[in-house]
Amino acid sequence: MSDAPVALVTGASRGIGRAIARALGDEGFRVGVHYRSGKDAACALAKELPNAFTLHADIKEPAQIDALVAELKKNEGRVDVLVNNAGYNVNALMPAMPLDSYDAVAAIARGAWYLTKLVLRRFMLRQQAGRIINISSVVGHTGNPGQVPYTMSKAGLDAMTRSLAQELAGRNILVNSVAPGFIDTDMTAELPEAMQQQILARVPLGRMGKPEEVADAVRWLATSADYVNGSVLHVNGGIFGG
Amino acid sequence: METSEIQGRVLKILTPYVKDNSALENAGAETNILEDMKVNSARLVDVVLAFEDEFDIEIADEDVDSVNTVGDCVTLISEKLS
Repeated sequence: MSDAPVALVTGASRGIGRAIARALGDEGFRVGVHYRSGKDAACALAKELPNAFTLHADIKEPAQIDALVAELKKNEGRVDVLVNNAGYNVNALMPAMPLDSYDAVAAIARGAWYLTKLVLRRFMLRQQAGRIINISSVVGHTGNPGQVPYTMSKAGLDAMTRSLAQELAGRNILVNSVAPGFIDTDMTAELPEAMQQQILARVPLGRMGKPEEVADAVRWLATSADYVNGSVLHVNGGIFGG
Repeated sequence: METSEIQGRVLKILTPYVKDNSALENAGAETNILEDMKVNSARLVDVVLAFEDEFDIEIADEDVDSVNTVGDCVTLISEKLS
């Protein structure tokens, strides 16, 4: 087993998560490429990165998170960086949104909480070191019509960042968020064209961000940024500055 | 493992976190960790992790809720070891 530090990236089979996994692999981490449904893409990415490995779990299911953490403990023995990137969204105006849709979106934030708790308990508190990076969203701060549960979930993730950073103060474990804006991924491509144009018109830099530009922020928080804790780093081309 | 040995190792783990040394010197099964020993509740997670490492066991969150005294610790650890 390599003694390189381990980074676990959830939702790493595509989009921003894939770019983050690549960035951390470039930095020498053994990357745990987590996926729920994108097995082929996750396996291809893990082959591309030195010492990377795949992990499967539905983040909505606590028993699957238990199994993922047990697998990590058995095979890798440590987690140095956790990136809670997995996300899920349902677009609908609130009066027309079924309760099941809300539950499905909210369950991802609950899963991030549970995974983080286990990673702390099993690895980081014992190591007395770690970095936790939550990938939230600008819409958790600005709001966005048709995305009430998603914006609630992402705002909650940033609240977790702030509270957990205070809980862990003095334990050499830093907790921060990266809040991407309008990034060119499969998820944003699903937005209606009119909404895409409306959002783009609000971006001072006049273009969508690239997943790699979000990954750069994560790379910095994971490998440097020793005095940054409990912060939300906005990567959005100037839509919102916090 | 004998109960007395478990208790001795439990007290050794608790020692760095104890604020009331007289409670530690007179500690018995009924000694309350938070109220008598004045261990900061924020450090309980460190105590639980130390128990897990010392005895090579896993302690569930639900189990932690039922632990108040030194004797509770010894009973829980004994159950896990058996």
